[in-house]
Amino acid sequence: MIYVTDGTFEGILTAVFEAYKNKEEPEAITLGSVYQLALGMAVREIATDMAKSGRVWRGVQSKISEKTLEELYRAYLSEHPQVGLFIYRYIKLGLKLGRKVEGYLQHPDVQAVHDLSRRVANEAHLFLGILRFRKLKNGIFYACYEPDNNITQLIAGHFAGRLSDQAWIIHDRKRDIMALYNGEEVVFATGLPPFAGEVCDEEYETLWKKYFSAIAIESRKNPKLQRSFMPVKYWKNIIEKQL
Amino acid sequence: MNLLDKLQILADSAKYDVSCSSSGSSRSNRPGGVGNASLPGICHSWSDDGRCISLLKILFTNVCIYDCKYCVNRSSNDIRRASFTPDELCELTIQFYRRNYIEGLFLSSAVIRSPDYTMELLIKTLKKLRHEYRFNGYIHVKSIPGADMRLVYEAGLLADRMSVNIELPSASGLKLLAPQKDPTAILEPMDFIRERIQESRELVLYKKTPSFVPAGQTTQLIVGATRDSDLKILHLSEHLYRRYRLKRVYYSAYVPVNDDENLPSVHTGPPLLREHRIYQADWLLRFYGFRAHELLDEGHPNFDTYLDPKCDWALRHLDQFPVEINKAPLEMLMRVPGIGYRMAAKIVRARRVGPLTFEDLRRMRVVLKRARYFITCNGRYYGGVELDAGLLYPLLADKADRKVMAGQISLFG
Repeated sequence: MIYVTDGTFEGILTAVFEAYKNKEEPEAITLGSVYQLALGMAVREIATDMAKSGRVWRGVQSKISEKTLEELYRAYLSEHPQVGLFIYRYIKLGLKLGRKVEGYLQHPDVQAVHDLSRRVANEAHLFLGILRFRKLKNGIFYACYEPDNNITQLIAGHFAGRLSDQAWIIHDRKRDIMALYNGEEVVFATGLPPFAGEVCDEEYETLWKKYFSAIAIESRKNPKLQRSFMPVKYWKNIIEKQL
Repeated sequence: MNLLDKLQILADSAKYDVSCSSSGSSRSNRPGGVGNASLPGICHSWSDDGRCISLLKILFTNVCIYDCKYCVNRSSNDIRRASFTPDELCELTIQFYRRNYIEGLFLSSAVIRSPDYTMELLIKTLKKLRHEYRFNGYIHVKSIPGADMRLVYEAGLLADRMSVNIELPSASGLKLLAPQKDPTAILEPMDFIRERIQESRELVLYKKTPSFVPAGQTTQLIVGATRDSDLKILHLSEHLYRRYRLKRVYYSAYVPVNDDENLPSVHTGPPLLREHRIYQADWLLRFYGFRAHELLDEGHPNFDTYLDPKCDWALRHLDQFPVEINKAPLEMLMRVPGIGYRMAAKIVRARRVGPLTFEDLRRMRVVLKRARYFITCNGRYYGGVELDAGLLYPLLADKADRKVMAGQISLFG
């Protein structure tokens, strides 16, 4: 049986609820309506239901832990095609084992969620550092990036706390998601026009690039090490690495 | 001279200082302020040598009254000299910070006129940055050897982290290469800073006191400018961690910048491999419960550059292996080559749920390349060879320089 969800986290939790209710073992839980149908497999459409997903949500909190709920959500942000199923199986195991499930890394379902969640957390942490804001003509600081995982909501809070007296925009160009901060609160939006054309920040970008090249020690040059920390796929939005 | 030239000169002069981390402080922003401090620290970029850039690491000036032989800024060197004004530095820091280029400022300086005069300039800059520019991010400031303790204290109230660089691991080395510097001028402020940190932590329990160097103090040792052995360096580090409660000792492979009969020739490269082994050993001291005398002794004063220090130790203590993955205490798991302290903790948690097989370890992403020779799973040994140092050595030794160049491990510590 394939469970087809709308791709939201609540949708997946609703699917978990339905699987329990129907006493079914789904073979897949999709992220949205685009999926591959294996031959002869039945499909069940899952309508996202806040009451049902809320019950699973609270069940995870009380019977497993708050930490697990966060871990499941982080894993969800990886957008891995199988993450729905991983979440379902993790919850199922967790409801049996309780808190202990968190350390049960020899179990493939636990390891799968753990891996995805860590991948997301690592990328989010990396972007706390390598996200680059560029000042626009209108004084707003604009940062665009193309992360592998859907991490904008994970990092926006950090910048709201840190750069709290300046207006800024974080733009995930891959997913067309923007976090906009006006000095008071963060708003998330999609479908807004890109701002990159209005960048006017040459003075400090030149200074930064100069600093970047001056701080490297020639006789220790090690491009491989550099790439292992700062993968090439991110370079086009990192101004000191742009050609 | 324009700002771009100054930045070029004073970053270039600061680059041999290896410390960079921005960890150990946690501070939220204030209304109207700029910045906060993140406890685990954040790296913002990696330069072409693969070292992390977290802070704007810069000298206030490279004009120096000293003529230390190992230093690129020595007074007798004919190089371009420059100095910032406090405002230039503050503006640069704030503007870089607003663009998320950096986590904060690492301010150091050559010694201009006198240690006190230099320290006063640094304090003036930091005061401006904290109070006028309302900068709330991370600041690491160098304590200038020979400066008055009153000034050291004042700087410590403005900074998250302070460091006094030891540079040369022995008094004899210091005498030879930096005859104008006095060893007590290094250890005295270190002790002073340690006492003030402790005091400020104790007082904080009772009332609101200004925090003093909340992220602790660090130092730097140059490796390879003198003849000091790894044993000597490691013993010094251990002493610094225990006696002075340092957060980190950084090691800097000496990059020959000056010609001098007492120094390696400028045509030789920095001893990166040796630096790498010492960093690995430093990790063993700080996180793995090893003592310096276990890793090296008079009969074995330097690390084998082909083996990581933990393998080196394990091969000399084969009587303690193999260890049973399902029974061994955490402290012993951490001593298994290839098993890090995080992985050891994971193993302990996982085996509470059920016994671990070799396959389980693989699934948990334990790196078994080296570990397999030192463990059993439920009594079974998977190493495939006898536990014999002669047989194991070629299996454990680094074959190419590939890994070895990895240099400083840049976790967020």
